[in-house]
Amino acid sequence: MSLFWLSVGFGLVTASVLSIASIGLSLQFGITNYVNFAYGDFMALGAFFTYVFNNQVLHFNIWIAMVIGSLLVGAFAVIVNRYLLGPFARRFQTTHYVLIVTFGLSLVMLNLIYSIWGADVRFYSMPIASALSIGPLRLTVTQLVVIGIAALMIGSIHLVLQRTRLGKSMRAMSDNTTLAMTSGIDTKRITTLTWFLSGSMAGLAGTVLGISEGNLTPASGELFLFVIFAAVILGGIGSIYGAMGGAIIIGLATEISAAFIDPAYKLDIAFIALIITLLIRPNGLIARPGTA
Amino acid sequence: MLYYVFTLVFFLFDYFILAMGLNIQYGATGILNFAYIGFVAVGAYMTGVAGMPSNITGQHYILGLGLPFPLNTLFGGLSAMAMAVIVALITLRRLRTDYLAIVLISLSLVLYDFCNNFVPLFNGADGLYNVPAPLTKALGLNVNSFIVVFACVTGVVALILWFVMARVTNAPLGRSLRAIRDDSTVAGALGKDVFRMQLKSMLIGSFYAGIGGGLLIQFGGSFNPTAWLPGETFVVFAVLIVGGAGNNIGMFVGALLVETLLIHLPAFLPEIPGHPGLIEYIDSALVGIVLMVMLWTRPQGIVPERVRRAVTFGVPDRPEIDARELGSAEVLGAPVAAATEGAK
Repeated sequence: MSLFWLSVGFGLVTASVLSIASIGLSLQFGITNYVNFAYGDFMALGAFFTYVFNNQVLHFNIWIAMVIGSLLVGAFAVIVNRYLLGPFARRFQTTHYVLIVTFGLSLVMLNLIYSIWGADVRFYSMPIASALSIGPLRLTVTQLVVIGIAALMIGSIHLVLQRTRLGKSMRAMSDNTTLAMTSGIDTKRITTLTWFLSGSMAGLAGTVLGISEGNLTPASGELFLFVIFAAVILGGIGSIYGAMGGAIIIGLATEISAAFIDPAYKLDIAFIALIITLLIRPNGLIARPGTA
Repeated sequence: MLYYVFTLVFFLFDYFILAMGLNIQYGATGILNFAYIGFVAVGAYMTGVAGMPSNITGQHYILGLGLPFPLNTLFGGLSAMAMAVIVALITLRRLRTDYLAIVLISLSLVLYDFCNNFVPLFNGADGLYNVPAPLTKALGLNVNSFIVVFACVTGVVALILWFVMARVTNAPLGRSLRAIRDDSTVAGALGKDVFRMQLKSMLIGSFYAGIGGGLLIQFGGSFNPTAWLPGETFVVFAVLIVGGAGNNIGMFVGALLVETLLIHLPAFLPEIPGHPGLIEYIDSALVGIVLMVMLWTRPQGIVPERVRRAVTFGVPDRPEIDARELGSAEVLGAPVAAATEGAK
């Protein structure tokens, strides 16, 4: 039984990382209507930006470095949209081309990260966390902070979407871009802001993934990508609340399964969940209008 | 020297085969198969285990049939096709382009993760090695002459497969596939069974992937999971886009430029001291950049798809138009000629 509760604890941490990542991916998909296959590498970039501020220059505290690293990825995402993906999406009617471009961007980013930081496994410098018992769960302080960050992000994204002008504009664009534009919403500005948010979330998720795994490598974001996809599709692609729900289900499912099967295959559980979703409810838990 | 030249020749022809397979899936039918390298891997592994005897110590793998050369490769090709049937049945009927791409790239990653961890299947992260080199005993070849002979064998296989592919793409099947690519709803309304056609295209393409993979493992003698990360799929896409999607000859040009010149030639450069692998990383990044520049400046590729004209009814023949004069959006979006062709 203790093994079960231990894996529930890990599941909550994975679900936290996953929900941050899934929200970022969903936000961007809802607005631009194409998937960013380089998202895993945005995560890796965030993890390494944080690493730079944490270990290589200035030696900030890990959490301060994390904020700087995430915002830098946000800025990077805005540049990528302005000069690369935006022009491609506007020029070609079919989404094939922009999908191939994001796939290519993933390869370029991954290899640039390898060229700069090398293939070594790296570690953040952070204090060794002590474990706390909360009810049946046993979590370290670091893990609690990770869960707290995710809860904070979920809460604030919810408030932004429901209460602010930006959030309302984003939801309007996600429903119908043309209608939003004719209603006087500055779609270009919203798109830029969404990319900034999406990039920052990716950077944050990448760093948090590195913190919770205990190490970071350039490829860790890429392999995590299909788990994010599983969460996003389970929730209903483009739906922010679906992404949150999907992330929690997939996060718990992968970690709890590790208590029963060889942990090496725990991520494959996410893929099985993805396939089952596609067979039973291809539009996800919270379906958007239109078919898959 | 001869060794290097024929290594390049081998990769040229092997990627010609791989690109033709992806070309019928993406270039002709419009299926964005981001799991392509997964099918190549299945072909390679199955060729390996079909060719290896069952009693090699130190490696764990299934089957071990000990089949001789052409049969094991054929087995690999058929295995890739079998996998394509499963994948197509689950995904093709249900999903539109971008969902399909997500599922396929996830499939590619999960296959990688699974084969990397599950040792009894294909020896896990170590992969298969000491795969028997074909024809060496029969022809009495040494290491160097094997490279030469096998590169030539691959060339012959590539030419045969090219001949078959040219027939397929010019046949009514090829026309139907292009009609589906241009507008699957219209093709369906005209009585084409869209799913069946896409399935056929997936099967043919996967067979080519399997054969290409089978030749790859026998040439190198080994194959492990790092050889088929999703980035490798991208290389085949780069060959296809640079060469010209939808054109079989373009695949040869693409393989020559991307695979041979851009990827394998820099591998002969000396390492920069203190930076292991740096040249390889920069080279891979360069492939991505070349593809983006190509997609922007010349999306139809170096050898553009021929604009096929349907038999005209009472309309006088116009001179052949070059695809690039039509402007990119029309060429990419919906060549009218191909759509009407499908309607015939």
